[in-house]
Amino acid sequence: MANSLIILLVIGLPWAGALVVWLVGDRRPGWQHRLAVLFSAAAAVVATVLLFGATDRPVLTIPLGPVFGDMTFIPDGLAALLTAIAAIIGCLAVIFSMDYMRGEQQLGRYYALVLFFIGAMIGLVLSGSLLQMFFFWEITALCSYALISFNNDDPKAVAGGIKALVVTTLGGVGLLIGALVIVGYTGSYQIADFLAQAHTLPADVLALIAFGFLLAAAAKSAQFPFQTWLPGAMEAPSPISALIHAATMVNAGVYLLFRFYPAFAAVPNWTAAVTLVGLASVLLAGLMALAAHDLKRALAFSTISQLGYMVYAIGAGGLFASQFHLLSHAVFKALLFLAAGAVIHAAGTRDMRLMGGLGQKMPLVRAVFVIGALALAGVPILNGFWSKELVLEAGLVSDTPWVIGAILGAGLTALYTARMIGLVFHGQPRSELPAHDAPPAMRFSLVVLAAGALTTWLLVGPLSALFARTLSAVYGIHALTLLEMIEEVLATPATWLVLLLVALGFAAWQQRSWLAGLAKALAPIAWVASHDFGFEWLNRQIVRVTMGTAEVTRITQTGVLGWNVVGIIGGLIVVLALLVLVWGA
Amino acid sequence: MTDTALQIIVIGVLGLVGVGLYGLLAVRNLIKVIVALQIAVKGVLLGLVAAGMASGQPNLGESLAVTVIVADTIVAVVGLALAVQVRRHVGTLDIKALSSLQR
Amino acid sequence: MVAFMWLIILPLLASPAVYLIGHWGSRQNYPNAGRQAGLIALLATWVPFILAANTFSISGALTLTIGAMSLELDGLALLLAALSLGLGTLVALYSAEYMSADASQEKFYAMLVLLVAIMIGLGCATDLFNLWLWFEAMAVSSYLLVAFYREQPASLEAGVKYLVQSAVGSVFVLLGICVVLAATGTTNLSAIRATSALTPTFMAAGALFIIGFGVKAALVPMHTWLPDAHSQAPSGISAMLSGVVIEAGLIALLRALAALSGMAVSWGVLLIGFGVINLLAGNLLALRQRQVKRLLAYSSLSHVGYMLIGLGVGVYAGQAAGIEGGLFHMLTHGMMKGLAFLSAGALLWALYIRRGQHGALTIDDLNGASRRYPLMAFTLAVAVLALGGLPPLAGFMSKWLIFLAGAQTHNMFIVAVVIFAGLNSVLSLVYYAPIVNALYRKEPSNAVLAGGALPVTILIPILALTGGVILLGFWPSLLSGLVGPASQALLAALGG
Repeated sequence: MANSLIILLVIGLPWAGALVVWLVGDRRPGWQHRLAVLFSAAAAVVATVLLFGATDRPVLTIPLGPVFGDMTFIPDGLAALLTAIAAIIGCLAVIFSMDYMRGEQQLGRYYALVLFFIGAMIGLVLSGSLLQMFFFWEITALCSYALISFNNDDPKAVAGGIKALVVTTLGGVGLLIGALVIVGYTGSYQIADFLAQAHTLPADVLALIAFGFLLAAAAKSAQFPFQTWLPGAMEAPSPISALIHAATMVNAGVYLLFRFYPAFAAVPNWTAAVTLVGLASVLLAGLMALAAHDLKRALAFSTISQLGYMVYAIGAGGLFASQFHLLSHAVFKALLFLAAGAVIHAAGTRDMRLMGGLGQKMPLVRAVFVIGALALAGVPILNGFWSKELVLEAGLVSDTPWVIGAILGAGLTALYTARMIGLVFHGQPRSELPAHDAPPAMRFSLVVLAAGALTTWLLVGPLSALFARTLSAVYGIHALTLLEMIEEVLATPATWLVLLLVALGFAAWQQRSWLAGLAKALAPIAWVASHDFGFEWLNRQIVRVTMGTAEVTRITQTGVLGWNVVGIIGGLIVVLALLVLVWGA
Repeated sequence: MTDTALQIIVIGVLGLVGVGLYGLLAVRNLIKVIVALQIAVKGVLLGLVAAGMASGQPNLGESLAVTVIVADTIVAVVGLALAVQVRRHVGTLDIKALSSLQR
Repeated sequence: MVAFMWLIILPLLASPAVYLIGHWGSRQNYPNAGRQAGLIALLATWVPFILAANTFSISGALTLTIGAMSLELDGLALLLAALSLGLGTLVALYSAEYMSADASQEKFYAMLVLLVAIMIGLGCATDLFNLWLWFEAMAVSSYLLVAFYREQPASLEAGVKYLVQSAVGSVFVLLGICVVLAATGTTNLSAIRATSALTPTFMAAGALFIIGFGVKAALVPMHTWLPDAHSQAPSGISAMLSGVVIEAGLIALLRALAALSGMAVSWGVLLIGFGVINLLAGNLLALRQRQVKRLLAYSSLSHVGYMLIGLGVGVYAGQAAGIEGGLFHMLTHGMMKGLAFLSAGALLWALYIRRGQHGALTIDDLNGASRRYPLMAFTLAVAVLALGGLPPLAGFMSKWLIFLAGAQTHNMFIVAVVIFAGLNSVLSLVYYAPIVNALYRKEPSNAVLAGGALPVTILIPILALTGGVILLGFWPSLLSGLVGPASQALLAALGG
């Protein structure tokens, strides 16, 4: 069984590593690389051990006094799975960084933040207390911001980092308010207590909490209408994009929805809202991915779209399906981002229009990228196929017409995936790019993840048994063996429809010259999609208005003594008038 | 103390404080600003004495007033000392010249 | 009892002694005498403080009567004493190098010791008039510290504005005392509360107190002196002003209002209202600010807003949590803002003052500071991120407590205020984050390239505060021994 030592280690190892790497100093980069790998690998080992000791009871409780409640760590199946993802992919990203970040300045800050992030992400999923959850939630936002703008000399990186910070903390206000109201009404910080007595809360209060959490989840997972920060986050180094903005932090929103689903499922319109948020993200981001020219931005849009599937699954009640797709996505998207990182590292550009024909120069990277891309597109028998089919099946079971949108999204995914592979690796080189295959550390991470994309679906049996063992009481999740899953997926007619659409998607890219007329007809949609459906414009307007208001407010600071005194006398008059008017009667 | 007397005193207090505050807004010479502050405080002194008498605690009111006189003198001295430095280093006593810190 | 007496008398007497020793020392060609005497005086004051705190923890509030003046060391007074003595000691150490090039250092240290002494006394006042007297004394000693660079026109300007506006506030407080005295015949705070005087009279008095003390506590729109004074004062004094003086103004305001507690609900609403205005105004004014110290000064406005919301919720609902939150935020803000001013001041000193220049430190000057001053860059980043309310730092926990108090009222109006405050926290990140980004740029600004080394006496106080800010982020109940009794004292004064 898991014990408190394992919990302390799985969070403490990365955090201690962060401190050590930072203290070692930037003058010894070799040691920084090695120590970072060492600590993250140790955390990954401990996280794997934790998988076998999952339990639904708190195994570590740290009292913070009566006001702040107890910190509790509960490694149930969900938490243990996400811990393993964070630690193992974190470790692979760190190994990849050995080559990717070689020769960079300020490595101490880079590795310290990565390790600090890994620990915080693990703390977040293990949290049994609301304060603790919000605490780690915001730390992940802080690390994400600091790593996006790691290259502070690039104004785009700074802007992207601040945007990510502001949007995710803005959504975080939803989590904050929800958590505060829960504590205010139930008097307990423990999530388990809330889940047990949610039905006793007044309906409007519960709705406030439910939609507050949805807001937080949408902002964190870059879902509609908060998706704009994720493309901006692509200024981060590629291992960061793979780790934080594909495999871990962006999943926190999905995790949050899963965690509180039993409390909110009965709130009127809540599941419908979750479904629609997910579906809108699937389709809008799919179109944007099709219009993107920047390789990493295209991957970012695809992340939004795939996260949309997970959110959609939760809205449809497919809790296990959402987490199974989360696992598949974490593996194949981390693989794709790292492979893209290898391409960018070699080619020195992210613009797909300048690439082409890179496959011959970097065969290994092409091979793993194609594996990841096929998993993304949902081609059998890769992991993405099985988990996506489970999601769609949950959609069918929930019996809403929205599933049609989700099925169409699968075709869209295949189309943009084919476009990505084609533009980057095939065809004639469109410019002279210095390309070489990946160096050893990069290669190691890529091969491990590619193997994962081929095989993680085989884990469905033990994984669902783990979920059933630790989560069935509250979440009602049942075990599903591998054979049952295969049978279920193959027996659903929708599976064949989806496969047809996926094939159509690939075919459409192959035969794109035939479809030129169609593409021309759809040009307005492409134009709107390449402008982020106006959300960027909306963001800019909000910033402009806020800054304008601030500038106007500054005029009131005249610096003239007379006006300052007027402020004091005016304040007195207003307060007196208020007292007389409001309370005088 | 009669009501009429009290009313007269209240008017006196408000008048002095009002004159002082108006002075703060109207004058531009730093010395005069300090004088205006002094006028407002004088109004308060009158008020303290009157309040003590009105509530049947004349000694209390008066002792407070004396303390205020002392404390306020110190403020005036510090203010005038600042004025001397302003005259020396800014070159003028016009408070319009003292509005470089803004926004 | 004896310890309490010395807690007030020791620094009061030490202040002129520090001046005389410093003056004598500089004549004897030993210019460090003043700073050493000042530091020793403050360190010595810790002895009676710890003894008095110990007695307090065993037997409750201590009272002391000197002539007609009665002082009481209750939880609230202890909190203010701890804050001012703690920050004062660190500032004295910090200023050793910072002020070393300035003439008449002995005046600086004498005034600093006096300021700490007065603030300890202010917390203990049990009489309305007495409260005013301490308040006025605090103002006078801080005027001279704000205008300490007396050759600098900007510093003089800030001093003059501060003086005039404080004096206006002081007139209003005195008018309020007149009203209370006329209605009740006493100035003793608990005696005032015991009388059932007419509510309209108390209403007028309360309004006068809110405005009068509000000038010092930097309630918008009475705040206009603050950005000038905080940005022009020596950095150690900026830390004291932001970290202690405005908090002392708030405590004086609360003491006075508590005596008029017949109208607690309306005071609560007014405090929340000012809190909301302060939050928004402070954030908007800081948003486009490029001067670091001025930006930090404006951010103090918004932090006063958080305190006001916490305290206002507590006063409104007669609830301990809100008051605890407000007071806890006072402590954490003292540490965070103290840290921010000291770190920014250290950079200002290294980049400008050391070379005899009195320029304003802009955000662009901070570019790449981490290359040369990694420790200062880290501590300033910690300070601003803590102010922005990000974990695992102190500001997160104190804001959480304030917001939680709001949610515990089950009042949707107050929940809306909490949502507004949460959104403002996000808004504040828009001006805090660029400071961090600038610090960690790779290409240093010209100012950083020309900067000199930092002495260890400047680093020690900064590191101590950094440790505190991080520690409180992980272990917020560490200070509940200070905050709990203080909120009990205030609740008792409110009659709750």
